[in-house]
Amino acid sequence: MTRIELEDLVIRYGDTTAVNGVSFTVGRGEHLTLLGPSGCGKTTTLRAIAGLEQPTSGSIRIDGQPMFDAAARKNVPAEQRGVSMVFQSYAVWPHMSVFDNVAYGLKVRKQSRADVAANVDRALGLVQMKHLADRAASKLSGGQQQRVALARAIAFSPTVVLFDEPLSNLDAKLRAEMRVELRDLQRRLDITSVYVTHDQEEALAISDRVIVMNVGSVEQIGTPEEIYNRPLSRFVADFVGSANILTGRLTGTDTFEAEGGAQLRINGATAARDGVGEVAVRTAYIDLVARPGDNQLLGTVRQRMFHGDFVQYIVECACGRLIVRRPPTNLLEEGAPVTLSFSPDHTVLLRGQGA
Amino acid sequence: MTAISDAGVSARLARPRRDWQPAVTAAVLLAVSFLVLLPLVFLVEESLNTGDALAFPPAEYGISNYIEMFQEDLDILTNTASIAVMATVMAILIGFTLAWILTRTNVPGRDTLERLLELPYYMTPLVGALAWAVLAAPKSGFFNQLWHYVGGAGDIVDVYSMFGIAWIMALFEGTVAFVMISASMKSMDPALEESARVMGASKLRTALTVTLPLVMPGVLGATLFVFAEMLGSFAAALVIGIPARIYVITTSIWDSTLSYPPDYGRAAAMGLALFVVMFGMLTFYRWMVNRGSFATITGKAFRPRAMDMGRLAWLLLGVCCLYIFLAVVLPIGALILTSLQRFATVILGQAEFTLGNYRMALGLGPVRTALSNSLMLGFGVATVGVLIMALIVWIIYRSHLKGRGAIEYLVMFPQAVPRMVFGLALLWAWLNIPIPIYGTLWLLALGYFTVMLPLGVRTLAGVVLQIDKSLEECARVCGASWGYQLRTVTLPLLRPGLLAAWLLIFMACVRELGASVFLMGPSAKVIAPSIVSAFASSGTELTAAMALIQTASVVVALVILFRLTRGMTKEMT
Repeated sequence: MTRIELEDLVIRYGDTTAVNGVSFTVGRGEHLTLLGPSGCGKTTTLRAIAGLEQPTSGSIRIDGQPMFDAAARKNVPAEQRGVSMVFQSYAVWPHMSVFDNVAYGLKVRKQSRADVAANVDRALGLVQMKHLADRAASKLSGGQQQRVALARAIAFSPTVVLFDEPLSNLDAKLRAEMRVELRDLQRRLDITSVYVTHDQEEALAISDRVIVMNVGSVEQIGTPEEIYNRPLSRFVADFVGSANILTGRLTGTDTFEAEGGAQLRINGATAARDGVGEVAVRTAYIDLVARPGDNQLLGTVRQRMFHGDFVQYIVECACGRLIVRRPPTNLLEEGAPVTLSFSPDHTVLLRGQGA
Repeated sequence: MTAISDAGVSARLARPRRDWQPAVTAAVLLAVSFLVLLPLVFLVEESLNTGDALAFPPAEYGISNYIEMFQEDLDILTNTASIAVMATVMAILIGFTLAWILTRTNVPGRDTLERLLELPYYMTPLVGALAWAVLAAPKSGFFNQLWHYVGGAGDIVDVYSMFGIAWIMALFEGTVAFVMISASMKSMDPALEESARVMGASKLRTALTVTLPLVMPGVLGATLFVFAEMLGSFAAALVIGIPARIYVITTSIWDSTLSYPPDYGRAAAMGLALFVVMFGMLTFYRWMVNRGSFATITGKAFRPRAMDMGRLAWLLLGVCCLYIFLAVVLPIGALILTSLQRFATVILGQAEFTLGNYRMALGLGPVRTALSNSLMLGFGVATVGVLIMALIVWIIYRSHLKGRGAIEYLVMFPQAVPRMVFGLALLWAWLNIPIPIYGTLWLLALGYFTVMLPLGVRTLAGVVLQIDKSLEECARVCGASWGYQLRTVTLPLLRPGLLAAWLLIFMACVRELGASVFLMGPSAKVIAPSIVSAFASSGTELTAAMALIQTASVVVALVILFRLTRGMTKEMT
């Protein structure tokens, strides 16, 4: 069942177009992430769902009810949409206590004092902040403010919660922790969420589906695995994860001649076209031993960088320099000759520019 | 705040129809230009009037008013320039020394000192000038009394001189130099100096090749800014200059409006000339700052590592204390001593103490009326003004209206016009605008509101810009209506700022002199000009009492300001 429906949404400010014809749906209980670099229109799209930005054209429906419809001149104000939101800056009100912050949406909905107390208690319990209910909000650390913002957003049991880069102001370790908690919370509460981030790792980790956006348009919609394994465009291959892009020429429906003459078999999921093209190979999917039956390239190790969790090699091949990331075992020396192998399944033909 | 809420509500409800936006912008632009620009237009027109100075519109146009200024009033121009130069040099020397001591050395009691150094600003140049007249007048001044008492002949100091005027201006109007220079010293990344040291430069070499070049633009900027201020300075030149027959451009403007018949043409030409020079300098200053070549100004405040001065630190503390003594303790002490005597003397054996001056100041009908008028104006202008300014700030910084940049520019414009030139322009404009408020408190209120626009808008903007937009948006998403959001989120967050703006405007109104001298009428007197005329016509003893009463009312307002804002900020941080 569809919870949120965006149709051909366009948002313009003067001459600049922030969102250029975006359409997607979010199913009930689904966790969808809008992913893209800054300025790609993801936050603007989210704020339009919340009712904080006025779209220029298109429509937004929640549970089948039109929230915005340019043709019908309908624009439901933010406070009547019944969605909830966690802001990038947390927006925890500094002049209130933790309790009052979380109780705000409940008081607005005129709940009885007992209900307010019970719901605040439940929400603070979910984020493990019960013990700080009476503390002034201005006396909280960044991580605590983040939890209060989260508790506030879920306290009034909304069906839709919007997240605007909620973890971007936390340090890396806390961010990883909160990611786990957030995923857990999403599953426990039956909420539909739309999440905005520029962090591809975060997007892949916590979403049911990911929408990659670039300069106001949708580049690709898919599950995290689809986005990672089958990037449609060079932009997605580059932005999500790390990939080597090989340029060359299509020679058949599933064969490709890379620059330098190497013949590769490629994934034929994308309609093959004649002429110049690009294929993407994830850095993590390349093996440094010859695997018969797979695509193979000969090269020389130019640089080795030890990263701890993995080792990164730069390998010089006839088709250019390739980056390879392997587990930190069986280290190769710089200058050593090497055979790279990768499965045709992981050799993905990219959509050409403008296609 | 109702004004804001109405605009906000209509902004949201009426969004799909965009036609109201130009109307609102146009209305605000029109109102602000009516207040800010129209008086100057009148002034320009009058300065070109070569016929009957009182005729409006002028019968004949010409530039003779300007030519005469350079032919007949050359001495006034040179007086103005030399006093401003002296005052600027002194103010920059004082400001640089104090800024260096407070930001770069380990002087004891730094935080307390920093707060004490704000005091001269709150003293006002008028009170400072009166106090130094009491201290350093020939013969009767306290210094000279003491000198005669110990057997000296003649006078050792005479404040009724060009240097005297400059000295008072530097002490009481030069505090901005300290603020600006210490800001440029504070905003310097200590790593810039540290890297020079790491490269092997000595302390002295670092100071000469890194510190000084980096601080220099700040000092130059402050010099330019202070010089422009000094050119338009009025109070000290009025209190000291007129008895001493030393006229500068501001006092000549005032003088021409007092002559019979008033020579508004001459006054307007001088006022505009002053305005053009000041405006040019301030524009140049802004250009210099905005050019952005000042690597030191990053907007980030550092606390540079203080140099360990050893025992010298106590000497530096002495320097700071001396300044506070000269600019605060001595003047206030002298005024208190004077106000409590029948005839002012510093030889306590001869003193006759009395509370008569206070009784008289508070008992005299005109003085009492002037004081209550000032307090009433301060209260009214601050209250109404803050609401209107809040609306303007909201339009400039929170709306998406086209033309809000123009509104901002217009609103800040009075800052570039010498206060008393603006007063003159308002006087001439409202003499000729067929709305009969000349000579009433209404004109004063309107004038105060106009000249306070930059102060109020800047203060409020500082607060509004600090409030993250998402704090308001979050309330809406939580389901709060606009009114509920305003009541529970926006207003509580704005309260300290509104309060601070209210008190600043209140204080500025109660102390206002430059515009008041032109705008007050026989039946609408205010306190600051009344103090000046009391000084000219009756004794220093009564004047001192009046000045202290005025200062006390400002101090009370200040204490309330600090109490309230401290309470607020404690809550917030």
